[in-house]
Amino acid sequence: MSSYLLRRLLYMVLILAAASLFIFALYALMPGDFVSGNLRLSAERKAELREIFGLNKPLLERYGTWMNQALHGNFGFSLAQQKPVVTLFNEYVWNSFLLAIVSTFFTWLIAVIIGVISAYKQYSIFDTLVMIFIFAAMSIPSFFIGLFLIKVLAVDLKWLPPGGMTTTGSNATGIAYIREVLDHMILPVVVMTLLGVDSLTRYFRSNMLDVIRQEYIRTARAKGLKERVILYRHALRNALLPAITLVGFELPGLFGGSLIIEKIFNWPGIGQLYMQSFTVRDYPLLMGFTMFIAILTVIGTLISDMLYRVADPRIKL
Amino acid sequence: MASISGGAVELKRSQAVPVRSSLWRQAMLRLRKNKLAMSGLGFIIFMFLICFIGPLFSPYADGKIDTANMYSAPSWEHWLGTDLLGRDMMTRLLQAGRISLTVGFASMCISVLIGSILGAIAGYYRGIVDQVIMRVADLLLTIPSLPILFILGALLSEWKVPTEYRMYIVMLMLSFVGWPGLARLVRSQMLSVREREFMQAATVLGLDDRRKLFHHMLPNIIPLLIVVATLNIGGSILYESVLSFFGLGVMPPTPTWGNMIDSANNLIDFEQHPWLWIPPGAAIFTTVIAINIFGDGLRDVLDPKQKK
Amino acid sequence: MNKKLIFSFLAFSITSSLFLAACTNQNDAVTTSGEAASAGNGAGVAQETPLSEQGLTKLQLARDITKLPEQAKKRTDTIIVGLTDPSGAFTPYFHQSGYDGNVSSILYASLVTVDDKGMPIPDLAEKWEVSDDQLTYTYHLRKDLTFSDGSPLTADDVAFTWTLLHDKVYDGGSLIPELHIKGGQAYKEGKAESIEGIKVIDPQTVSVTLEKPNATALTTLGGEILSKAYYGKDYAFGELDYIKKLHENPVGTGPYKLEKFLPGQEVRFVANEYYYQGKPKVEHFIYKTTEGDTLQFIETGEQDFGGFSATKENIDKLTGLGFLDLLPYTANNYGYIQFNLEYAPLKDKAVRQALTYGLDRKTIYVDTSQGAAQIANIPASPVSWSYTEEGINTYDYDPEKANQLLEDAGWIKGADGIREKDGQKLTLHFIGSKSKATDVFIAVAKENYAAIGVKLEAEQFADFNAQIAKFESGDFDLVSFSTPILTDPSDGVVAFVNGEVKGYDNPKVKELYEKGLATSEIEERKAIYKELYQVINDDLPYIFTSYKKSLYAFNGRIENLTVSPFRGISANIHNWELK
Repeated sequence: MSSYLLRRLLYMVLILAAASLFIFALYALMPGDFVSGNLRLSAERKAELREIFGLNKPLLERYGTWMNQALHGNFGFSLAQQKPVVTLFNEYVWNSFLLAIVSTFFTWLIAVIIGVISAYKQYSIFDTLVMIFIFAAMSIPSFFIGLFLIKVLAVDLKWLPPGGMTTTGSNATGIAYIREVLDHMILPVVVMTLLGVDSLTRYFRSNMLDVIRQEYIRTARAKGLKERVILYRHALRNALLPAITLVGFELPGLFGGSLIIEKIFNWPGIGQLYMQSFTVRDYPLLMGFTMFIAILTVIGTLISDMLYRVADPRIKL
Repeated sequence: MASISGGAVELKRSQAVPVRSSLWRQAMLRLRKNKLAMSGLGFIIFMFLICFIGPLFSPYADGKIDTANMYSAPSWEHWLGTDLLGRDMMTRLLQAGRISLTVGFASMCISVLIGSILGAIAGYYRGIVDQVIMRVADLLLTIPSLPILFILGALLSEWKVPTEYRMYIVMLMLSFVGWPGLARLVRSQMLSVREREFMQAATVLGLDDRRKLFHHMLPNIIPLLIVVATLNIGGSILYESVLSFFGLGVMPPTPTWGNMIDSANNLIDFEQHPWLWIPPGAAIFTTVIAINIFGDGLRDVLDPKQKK
Repeated sequence: MNKKLIFSFLAFSITSSLFLAACTNQNDAVTTSGEAASAGNGAGVAQETPLSEQGLTKLQLARDITKLPEQAKKRTDTIIVGLTDPSGAFTPYFHQSGYDGNVSSILYASLVTVDDKGMPIPDLAEKWEVSDDQLTYTYHLRKDLTFSDGSPLTADDVAFTWTLLHDKVYDGGSLIPELHIKGGQAYKEGKAESIEGIKVIDPQTVSVTLEKPNATALTTLGGEILSKAYYGKDYAFGELDYIKKLHENPVGTGPYKLEKFLPGQEVRFVANEYYYQGKPKVEHFIYKTTEGDTLQFIETGEQDFGGFSATKENIDKLTGLGFLDLLPYTANNYGYIQFNLEYAPLKDKAVRQALTYGLDRKTIYVDTSQGAAQIANIPASPVSWSYTEEGINTYDYDPEKANQLLEDAGWIKGADGIREKDGQKLTLHFIGSKSKATDVFIAVAKENYAAIGVKLEAEQFADFNAQIAKFESGDFDLVSFSTPILTDPSDGVVAFVNGEVKGYDNPKVKELYEKGLATSEIEERKAIYKELYQVINDDLPYIFTSYKKSLYAFNGRIENLTVSPFRGISANIHNWELK
């Protein structure tokens, strides 16, 4: 196990190195750069600025400089925002994380409950309703669900705030501040949960159906065990095991932010920052963020594999 | 813990000589008896037919712009109203269905095929093959989609690929980049199936790799693949509108369900012109439901673990 | 599977966010006009032209102020305005985004500003002189000016600001380094300790000498002033990184000073008691970051002011809310489709005219935007004093005439219905950004051009940068753009004379352009521009498309609210009152 871990860690470093080169090349090949979109600048000034920003250097040299700095923990300054990239992350990423972690929790909770019940009562009315609901959520783009909720709950009924993380101009602190943020979180979390819950429910339901049909469940029934014991002690556990491997994959999503939710609900998250940086080709920020997500992805896959091993000890790694 | 007798059933089946055809025939027979699944299939066929044939009977099939009729609500002349340019929504909805259905099914097939084959090979052979496939998958997982779409757009434009074909090329390329998630899932299921007792039995019996892989292991992951595939179709139909967004999808004025929904994405359209987004939304919704009902039925008859 | 879903989910998110961005472009109008003040050359006079026949033409007051939402009622000393994306770099000359420019225009006053007609007027400088050779500018500061930290503002600060911008590592967008101040280049190269052309005459007076005359120098130089004591404390030549640390703690001269910046949420301001025109009447001002639609924030009273496209539906909706004043405006710029004049068929003026006659611009720009636009025929907006319709061909949609022109030019319809000449088919390759407006253009233009035997092949690009890259490669026949906010009429035509429009070279246009800049007599200039517009209107290097109409909607309790076409809300914000 430990030698396997060691080998995987080594691979991780190699993959990240390859990924960084690949990602750097991708961004560099994108049409346009930080200077090109500014129509007010003369051609000479553009050339001068490219020199100052180092955009005119050969790709490999730029990559070298960037890598060198990154290895020293310096991810550079955002060109558009004039701040260290790391500071910017800090300002935005936690807001995204807050939404993601809460909605992931609810997504899993709801998916497990619904998935199990609807599998257990396959083809019942409950099962049918749940499936119809899930497909409806899948067929309608999330901005519609978001707009609809804002329209009904915020604009018409005024039960919830229409967006943002706090009330504009509010000076609340302590408990009052937390309450305010919670109020503002409800709508985005509901939409995010709705979006995530459909595929996960399907997944659990399918797993659960698999498990219920296994012989050991029949055996348990034959032994006269109570249905509840069978369901929770035997079936649910086994149905959950494969899902554990998905946990690792959630990792990058927790920090990646969600563009659409943040946009619709005006949430100050990293997804919006990324999109803005993208439109102006703010390379230091784009690279920094993408590498950050790449690292989380690689760690996430490793965690998944490890958990899988824990979930099913027969599997040799 | 695993299904000993399930394995035994497998063995019995594969030992019988004319197994294959009779198994299939049996499955199809059972499927035909499943009324719900058949109605799902019927609806999908109906959807295809009406989308491909329907517009031929429409007086508005040429998509002519009619500024006198902008945003008119559903009426006798225009059953589903008209859009911003006064075009008949009903006709556009059906024309859109042609592309959306084609794209949805095609891209589902490609990505499920690539993902499951690579995943299965990795999970079955292990060792160096597994390492190579999974490490490439790891690498691909780290790559952000946004710059890829931008670069593809620039490249396809530079190579002068006609705009009509771009979407298919892009979908194909995205499937090539997008397989790792499914491959990992399939692989992990394969790893689990591989350790089941019936596989050890198969090895003891000296069955060859191909037979073990395709006759014994893949059938065990088919339920999973069906779930993924049916989920995937709805996603692909909507995904097309994302591609259009980057100038990589279909070009206006050609409609698709995805871009029809997307074009009504503000509060005003949402409130005041519901006929712009309800029909395409309903079309995607009913199609996805039909596919899933059919998928469920198919899954039930093909699942080796299930016995009626 | 999960990853796959995340992947597609991300992509969906992207779509819609871009869509939303496209829908709320109107917010940018506030930005750009604010920015134009420091960039423009303000040598002209503008004139209010009534908006077209339909829609709003003047300020419409709130019908029923009692409908004002609770939340807005409760605010008695704060006004909240939406702003797309302030990033925190609030030092003038050093920000890279126009939104930060909006913030700094509230925090900093300029030496010289422009009035609603684009004419220079005093701000921090009470008067100025320009030498007869147009090379030396002398600015006289008001007495007793103070920065927001209470320290005095003197000519030294002005000289310091100009010098700083000549540093070799200065990477901002200021045009001051491009004015060719005498000795500026030597300073930039490190050959001189200071800039020869900048002279501090006394604490109230500073002068600057240029190497060559420049009509835009007065307002460009007359920008915001940085405190030498604050921003110059750590300055060493070739080292400007320290300024980045000061971005979020600005020391300014404007009506408001920064109270707090919450990234991605708000920029809070508090009235500046040292402001030379007196402390603003409303104690607090907030720029709220609003990425998406501002409508829901206006409707719930969380925001007091927002910009919208002047569509009929928007006007009806906003009027219906009852508590909003609506102020219509037409931005001082124009939209156009540029021909690739290096593509042989388009070198022929008759073909360009045919393509203009054959394009139903009314449907594309006016009808589909429900009246939120007006058709353009010249390179100037109806807001500008130079605008004229005299002797201007309006190229009303006329496919017969277009057909005739093409026929006469030797383009004959082939078997497939597409015109040919010398074996070449008349196909046009259009590029545009991906937006709803472009979708409409492509749908209509394809049909229009098919009717005159021209094949249109359209391509859309994901964002502006991608479109620019394609444009610069020269691989296009038609491309759709709009100009930035124009301050002087010369800004609207400069592209035709400086080689920016490749392949266009008309000596008459050049001559008239020079003539238009050589005098500052408005009536004389009007006549020159009229002639120039007539030439261009006939030549058609562009198909002029539209002037966008927008409107500001704001809480009816705000009094004295005006918006400058050049400087946005910052011009008059100190006079706003909350009743």
